[in-house]
Amino acid sequence: MHIPDGILPAAVSIAGYATTGVATYYSLRKINQKENPPEGIPKASLLTSAFFVASWIHIPIPPTSVHLVLNGLLGVVLGYYAFPSILIGLFFQAVLFQHGGLTTLGVNAIVMGMPALLASFIFRLRNFGGKESQLRTGIFGFLAGAFGLGIAALFALLLLIYTIPTYLDVEVERASIYALTLAHLPLMVLEGAFTAMVALFLQRVKPELLEG
Amino acid sequence: MNLGLDEHVNLDSLFHRWEPRCKLIGLIALIFAFSFVQDLRLLPAMLAITSILYALSQLPLSFLLTRLRYPGYFILILVILLPFLTGTNILVHIGPFALRQEGLLASLLIITKFVSILTIGLVLFSTAPFLTTIKAIRSLGLPSILSDMTFLSYRYLNQIGDDLATMETAMGLRGFRVRRLCVTVLTTLTSLAGTILVRSYERSERVYKAMVLRGYGGSMPLHDMFHTSPRDAMILGGIFLTAVGFVIVELIFRGLGG
Repeated sequence: MHIPDGILPAAVSIAGYATTGVATYYSLRKINQKENPPEGIPKASLLTSAFFVASWIHIPIPPTSVHLVLNGLLGVVLGYYAFPSILIGLFFQAVLFQHGGLTTLGVNAIVMGMPALLASFIFRLRNFGGKESQLRTGIFGFLAGAFGLGIAALFALLLLIYTIPTYLDVEVERASIYALTLAHLPLMVLEGAFTAMVALFLQRVKPELLEG
Repeated sequence: MNLGLDEHVNLDSLFHRWEPRCKLIGLIALIFAFSFVQDLRLLPAMLAITSILYALSQLPLSFLLTRLRYPGYFILILVILLPFLTGTNILVHIGPFALRQEGLLASLLIITKFVSILTIGLVLFSTAPFLTTIKAIRSLGLPSILSDMTFLSYRYLNQIGDDLATMETAMGLRGFRVRRLCVTVLTTLTSLAGTILVRSYERSERVYKAMVLRGYGGSMPLHDMFHTSPRDAMILGGIFLTAVGFVIVELIFRGLGG
């Protein structure tokens, strides 16, 4: 889901950086409105590293295994820090592992970061209209994880399909979108289940981590 | 866990000596100029400039090849599929598939730009310590929250990576084997991920207290450590002119084509 260098036109990459600039500004403004902004920086930083490392855990799906994106879970735990955290994580991926790219950093941050912010808003809905419970944490955790991945995948697919091939046949284009979207449905369920289970684990062990 | 980025920072090349802020501005401009290119006639020049710059950086070729391997898989799939999926001019039929001219040319463009940009990116980030490059980005105007988060995340990446490896070894020694996906396996793996998060959170509380005791108030101090010499500015001018040259020639070719 990380779009590499060389694929997108320069205009799209620059637009990606501009949108990322706006989203980062919005997130930083919200962070600075908190009671003690410096206190959150070490927490968000170490959790950024922790999410980066946790995404290396492989889930067995015979005959292969997949690693999870965890952008929904990141939104659940980090709240407004999620977007800067994803930006830094993607920067590390691009620079340390050449996964993603430098010109596409802005676009990739939007693809992964906006759904993470959305996941954060979805998860916060669990506090409305009722008392916090395991069932509500599980349901909203699942939705946050599943939508986090699903929307990121949809963004990436639409970007790839509408920007790369100039002469792509309309039928091929439509079939590709349907096929790739369907292929992501089981992964959405897996990501949602994983996010819900981690959210339930955190609620039992360290509930303050879910305060965003 | 070895991230390997600072492996070659002690070499003594033009790029190792170049002032990091000028290097950032110059090479990022060149990277974006390369991404602007759509005309195939510019590709040989792009590859030539990339090869010259990589040779000047004195980074080993084996380092580049290792770094190309992993992202190369995704690009490889794309450049193999595109010639069969896009375009109207059929060059040759291979069984039920038709190789198309436009897709083939698009693949050539993508792979050349990908290799060139990745190589220049390696020159940019592997010829100075990673933290020096981050300080250079900060001194160019990166918000302090972002730079502090980058410093701290990078500082603890190795340590948390080692924590995960230790925990996985401990799970293995206690008989945990991942063969197929079932509720038990998923529960164990979510506990592993959750534990990594909880440990990191608790460590961050200790780190914050230690930082406060050392006078941290929301922004790490940045000493004025960069000094641009006339030589640095001249190299920046040369690289910048090359980048502008690519954009102008591309625009001329587009004008002629249109």
